[in-house]
Amino acid sequence: MAGMNVESNPQELILSEFRLRSPGAARFHQSLVVTVLIGCALISILTTIGTIVMLIYESSGFFLNEQIEIGKFLTDTRWTIGQTQGEIRYGIWPLLSGTFRITGIALLFALPTGLITAIYLSEYAPKKVRAVLKPALEVLAGIPTVVLGFFAVTFLTPYLLAPLGDFKPFNAASAGIAVGILCLPLVTSLAEDALQAVPRSLREGAYGLGSTRFEVTIKVVLPAALSGIVSAFLLALARAVGETMVVALAAGSTPTFTLDPREPSQTMTGFIVETINSESVVPGTLSYYSIYAVAAVLFLITMLITIIGQIIRNRYREVYQ
Amino acid sequence: MSQIPDQLKHDSAGRNERRSRKSNSFAVICLLISGLVIVILVTLLTTILTKGAGSLNWNFLTSVHVENQPELSGIWQALVGSMVICLICGLFALPVGIGTAIYLEEFKPKQRTMRRFQGLVQLNINNLAGIPSIVYGILGVTAFVYMFGLFDRIQVNQIPEYEMGAEYFYQVNTISNRRQGIQGRFVSFPAKDPSQPTFEINEPIEVTDGGGQSFMLNVIADDLPMPTDPELLERTVRRGTVASRFARYQASHFHLPLGKSILAAGLTLALVILPIIIIASQEAIRAVPNSLREAAFGMGATRWQVVRGTVLPSALPGIMTGAILSMSRAVGEAAPIIAVMGGILGTTRGLSNLMDASPVLPVTIYKWSSHQNVAYENLAAGAIIVLLVFLLLMNSVAIWIRYHFERKQGAF
Repeated sequence: MAGMNVESNPQELILSEFRLRSPGAARFHQSLVVTVLIGCALISILTTIGTIVMLIYESSGFFLNEQIEIGKFLTDTRWTIGQTQGEIRYGIWPLLSGTFRITGIALLFALPTGLITAIYLSEYAPKKVRAVLKPALEVLAGIPTVVLGFFAVTFLTPYLLAPLGDFKPFNAASAGIAVGILCLPLVTSLAEDALQAVPRSLREGAYGLGSTRFEVTIKVVLPAALSGIVSAFLLALARAVGETMVVALAAGSTPTFTLDPREPSQTMTGFIVETINSESVVPGTLSYYSIYAVAAVLFLITMLITIIGQIIRNRYREVYQ
Repeated sequence: MSQIPDQLKHDSAGRNERRSRKSNSFAVICLLISGLVIVILVTLLTTILTKGAGSLNWNFLTSVHVENQPELSGIWQALVGSMVICLICGLFALPVGIGTAIYLEEFKPKQRTMRRFQGLVQLNINNLAGIPSIVYGILGVTAFVYMFGLFDRIQVNQIPEYEMGAEYFYQVNTISNRRQGIQGRFVSFPAKDPSQPTFEINEPIEVTDGGGQSFMLNVIADDLPMPTDPELLERTVRRGTVASRFARYQASHFHLPLGKSILAAGLTLALVILPIIIIASQEAIRAVPNSLREAAFGMGATRWQVVRGTVLPSALPGIMTGAILSMSRAVGEAAPIIAVMGGILGTTRGLSNLMDASPVLPVTIYKWSSHQNVAYENLAAGAIIVLLVFLLLMNSVAIWIRYHFERKQGAF
């Protein structure tokens, strides 16, 4: 209890803690501290520089290899690196399409569901429902992705999808739905923030004109929050594109170039984790460098999505501040 | 004339009714779709509990993965690995993250170049948060495991260039003679030149046996008969016998490059959660009321004194909450660890120093769920339960801190 006493009076704490010293010494001390803090800030810059330099340097080992033509990388529709036999084909499209097939399914599920849940939470939900829904979303957001991958393999594929058609044991649909479940809390919380940021006065004005709650939501609040919602969607998109463990477990390890959700579909992230994990891939081989080439494509895509999302979000901030 | 208002009234009444019906049915649809969250969560937890509850027992918690014997396998090493990695990650990411946040929030510089630098750091942090964790994993492989090739790569049978806390020995088996019932025993002696993986014994040398006794090793030529005295025979090897190298590592064992070690994995995870910690700490620091800062400035404190004495203590609960939440994200992360340490399920030695590789819970779950032997699936579910309980504990601590300190801060 004595400890409580001291802490409840912070002013006393401050005075007792500081040794008195000359202003010059204090300034010198501060300049040391600032240098250390700048050093901390530099680490995040170094991370980015390190990533970019690494991706350029190591993927040049792939693109500058005499076996590789960049044109084929961008146009060929087969990818056979990582498979043990046969000729080497290295078109990025199967991996790219795999990523976007799964992302598409995920967003098809997560965007409408997340947006409607956000609308419900922000505009309709009574306190009691909110008290259940919010913690449930937080728990869902905290579930590790490898657990959702397990869920996709052991529940979604055999119990939800298998009765619906000829789904392979590893397929794009189950991985897509699991990634969608992963994005759902993200979409919901960001979209809810955007909806809540719409000033009350707009709603009150619309109610004053005799609108129903539905009309206020759809015709006033939603358009006003649109940029925030779009940036929430983009963040979910970036998250879905970069998701690794779910697809590594549930989507299979065959790169395919098809639109069929029942087929396996290896994604860029799935390829990276599978290849880097295999014992036979050692530094200096083509498979090793191909990891960096795929990672560079992945990095470019997510970076682009994040930056567009930020531009949209900054614009929306300006509107209401 | 009187008909028109009537009709208008009737129409608008009908329209209003339709409008409010539409509004109400939309509310019901919203409720149903929102309910999906609960349905998903319940299905997920039920699936895991029904599959995993059976494999949870004391033996499961305390034993190690055994290949093709699911009934003997357990998660002890993975549990220890997860805790250690969480600790390493926190020790590195917390100071750096909080330091960056303080710099960005409290030390806004006046010079234009430094302001630009801060703007760049802020933009960069927001972008870092969007990079997929597997890309961090590859960065970890390049920057920590191989260290950009600045040092010689650690290869099989080759010792690292910079190393400490390791002692190398050569080991050899003395002559065994089945007819006389004499078993050879392993003796070892310190390596003078550890870079050689083997050593040819040509002359007597002082060795130590498994019991710690030292004696001179007796060396006899190929063409000479073996000694008949069993005592002596036990201490004898043929000339030219090849001893092989092995190492004893101390807890302080360290080498460069870091190799596939738990330290490399922890540092990689620290990079993954660094932006999250920075953003959470920035929010906590921003929430400290300005009046507190002004009061401290008014007493003549320097900016750093204000930060240390006033801002940090009152932002600490928020910072800690954010830190614990992001560390629980690190505990559940599998992709960067698979990239850095490989998808290992168990090691023979266990975790004895920071240069060892170790299994962790999420990687164990991944490997078990994708194992050819389907029996491991239930073990994976059991490991998931343990992981979720672990995360739940961490989150409870975060909630407790928030609750405890919010009440306290209300006091002043």
